[in-house]
Amino acid sequence: MRQLGQATTEPVTMVFLGHFKPESFAEFVRHRAARLSLGMRLGTVSDERVEVAVEGAADLVDMFEMACSLGPIDCLVLDIYRNAERQ
Amino acid sequence: MGFAAGWYALALGDGLEPGTSAGTQLFDKELVVWRDASGASHVWEDRCPHRGMRLSFGFVRGNHIACLYHGWQYDEAGQCRHIPAHPSLEVPETIKVPTYASVEAAGMIWVQSAPEATEPPPADFAAVPVRSLYLDRAPEMVALLLEAGLAGSFESLSSSTFGIALDGADLFLALQPYGAERSALHIARTGGDLSPKDIAVWAEDLRATLEALPAIAPASAARQAGALA
Repeated sequence: MRQLGQATTEPVTMVFLGHFKPESFAEFVRHRAARLSLGMRLGTVSDERVEVAVEGAADLVDMFEMACSLGPIDCLVLDIYRNAERQ
Repeated sequence: MGFAAGWYALALGDGLEPGTSAGTQLFDKELVVWRDASGASHVWEDRCPHRGMRLSFGFVRGNHIACLYHGWQYDEAGQCRHIPAHPSLEVPETIKVPTYASVEAAGMIWVQSAPEATEPPPADFAAVPVRSLYLDRAPEMVALLLEAGLAGSFESLSSSTFGIALDGADLFLALQPYGAERSALHIARTGGDLSPKDIAVWAEDLRATLEALPAIAPASAARQAGALA
């Protein structure tokens, strides 16, 4: 995992709810994570739910969430939460 | 004919003052040409990695260029160095603008169109930048018409550069393949003392001629050039 000289988060699992083309959204997520130098692992990827674990600087993780909230043109993100928020 | 990967002029050197940027295109690819405070010129993809805004709309701050949209700043190598909304963030190296090799020679700013190009950078020689012309004509056709001598007694120096003697002055012209149907010609004076104003008037006529001439085939261009030689 890259060390960015910042306080880093523990791995965060983000859950995206909406209407997805799984391959399209997965590729979108991979690209954004790579651009932001985040560690990333895809979990569940379905038509209505995508789970992604990311790790890196807190600001970059927030940027990742914002970027993914838009999603690719063929996907619609309706809600996002981080696992800890609903435990 | 087509144009090989190589070096192409994008702008006149004196048309870009330190601290300014301009947008242009090469083979329909959008590029920003900017000059930093130390006087060095740069040619990059004209797109901020953040939200896609054209960097040519941005502001040069010292030796960085800042995007107009959210102020992300990039250093001379294209690396993002500052994000105003996250001032203490050490920006990852993956946030970087694609850059192109560029040089200044013969009074013009040149870019290498593709990294695999093996052609050496253009030779530098004394030249007075005079005028850039933008033409609504395919660059291949502009090159053919110039080679065929239908717009004047041009000498082909390469597939995209030409010379002409004009009223005691020697002119050097570099063709920029701007897009599929659009071209630019950058003109510099390499000898003689014809005034820039007179050259500009001639250039306006050249543009009108090149836009009005009927299209010709490559074989026809070769025959025309042979007949005129």
